[in-house]
Amino acid sequence: MKKFSNLIYAVLPVLGVGALIGVWTILSLQEGTLIPTPVETWERFLVIMTDPISKATLPVHVLVSLKRVLSAFGFAIVLGIITGVLFGWYPRVKALLSPIFELLRPIPPIAWIPLLILMFGIGEVPKILLVFIGAFIPIVMNTQSGIESIDPMLIKAGQSFGCNHRQLLFHVALPASTPAILAGIKMALSSGWMCVVAAEMIAAKQGVGFLIVRGQEAGDTALIVSCMLVIGVVSFLLSAILTKLEGVLCPWQFKKTK
Amino acid sequence: MAVQKNKISMKNISKTFTTRTGDVSVLKDVSINVFENEFLVILGPGQCGKTVLMNILAGLEQPTGGEVVFADGTPKMGDLGIVFQKYYIYPWKNVMQNVELSQEVKGVDKKTRRESAQKYIDLVGLSGFEKSIPRELSGGMKQRVGIARAYATESDIMIMDEPFGALDAQTRYQMQEEILKIWEKKKRTVIFVTSNLEEAIYLGDRIILLGGSPTSVKAEYIPDMPRPRNYTSKEFLDLRNEIADNTDLAL
Repeated sequence: MKKFSNLIYAVLPVLGVGALIGVWTILSLQEGTLIPTPVETWERFLVIMTDPISKATLPVHVLVSLKRVLSAFGFAIVLGIITGVLFGWYPRVKALLSPIFELLRPIPPIAWIPLLILMFGIGEVPKILLVFIGAFIPIVMNTQSGIESIDPMLIKAGQSFGCNHRQLLFHVALPASTPAILAGIKMALSSGWMCVVAAEMIAAKQGVGFLIVRGQEAGDTALIVSCMLVIGVVSFLLSAILTKLEGVLCPWQFKKTK
Repeated sequence: MAVQKNKISMKNISKTFTTRTGDVSVLKDVSINVFENEFLVILGPGQCGKTVLMNILAGLEQPTGGEVVFADGTPKMGDLGIVFQKYYIYPWKNVMQNVELSQEVKGVDKKTRRESAQKYIDLVGLSGFEKSIPRELSGGMKQRVGIARAYATESDIMIMDEPFGALDAQTRYQMQEEILKIWEKKKRTVIFVTSNLEEAIYLGDRIILLGGSPTSVKAEYIPDMPRPRNYTSKEFLDLRNEIADNTDLAL
């Protein structure tokens, strides 16, 4: 029975993706449609893997985008966790600063693009800043709510063993909210990746977002779709890496598989 | 019995909670003396305010009336050993790190505190599990960590709030035997709270029965039986019936 159930769970995802490709194929074969067939998309993908567009092959464009995401991401993680801890652990800091944060938070990151371009031009800085904005917000929110939702008895136990406020933070509050913080980092990574594509679509000479716009200008739908799929796959891989990291950082959350 | 030195006096402790629907009086004029190195059991039905009383004793909550007087001066946070019902050992710390915490936050250097923690890990029978994390341990073992952690505070007062309440019956019996062995080896003043009548008689030098609404002290019993006590002996059963007749039903 176990074997059978394992088999089912191996087959079902393939079936799902297969169905998607099936529907895609049917749609792309309709007369007058602009949707490229899966085969055309695949062939286009193979071409851009080796033939440069705007002086770069697809892997280079992906790396350019990734570099923007990751350089903003480092800052977003450090500053986001610090801000979230300040909000969650020090009520006075929260009272002072969180209204500002609450006001800025609902603004969609892409709404910052025009202002950022006017202020910083079209170089790397506005793109990195945009990714930072997109990644910073979910990290702050998750860190703060992680700290605020700790079982109060865990805190009381720490107090009863002599922890002061700062020791409680490092021995109890931070480890207890690590899973929430990591969930925030995961959200931040996908949000940051979306922001970089959006920024590149508006003003860039390289990057996957740029490639999509190039496809639009050339009426090259196969290029657009293959880039969209690449964006999806890269995002999926990043998220998988973070899930692995979760297991390393919070072993108490997961069953040991022996 | 030798003259007993008073260790803690709870004097007329009252606690009233203010809720949306008005004041709720939980404890009223609870006065209990605790003697040095005795195993005192506080017995009361579920939800009667035992945990509130323990939190007041531990300094985690303030009483609305009365006071707790410690013979050796009011302890600071970290000066009492507390064992919690739901363990509340930290899942991200291994056994050693949990047990040494109270010394670590006092700034005791690593070597000294590890040696001391090791002593108590051995005492509760967890030698070899120092590096295990709580999720790899059974319920009984988790509570052993809780007991070792309380002992590691080096406090001479142990507060145990229904420590075996979350364990299955079999483990519970084992742990009752175990806690007496530990206490015989390292005498401390133990205040052990339970809602389990047999547990109270099996363990206690003295039993304080709580009851009423709001809760106050109803009676005191001294099980005059040598240890280990036999659950099915006539004396045990007689005392059990006597206390049972005097006990309120759980709320």
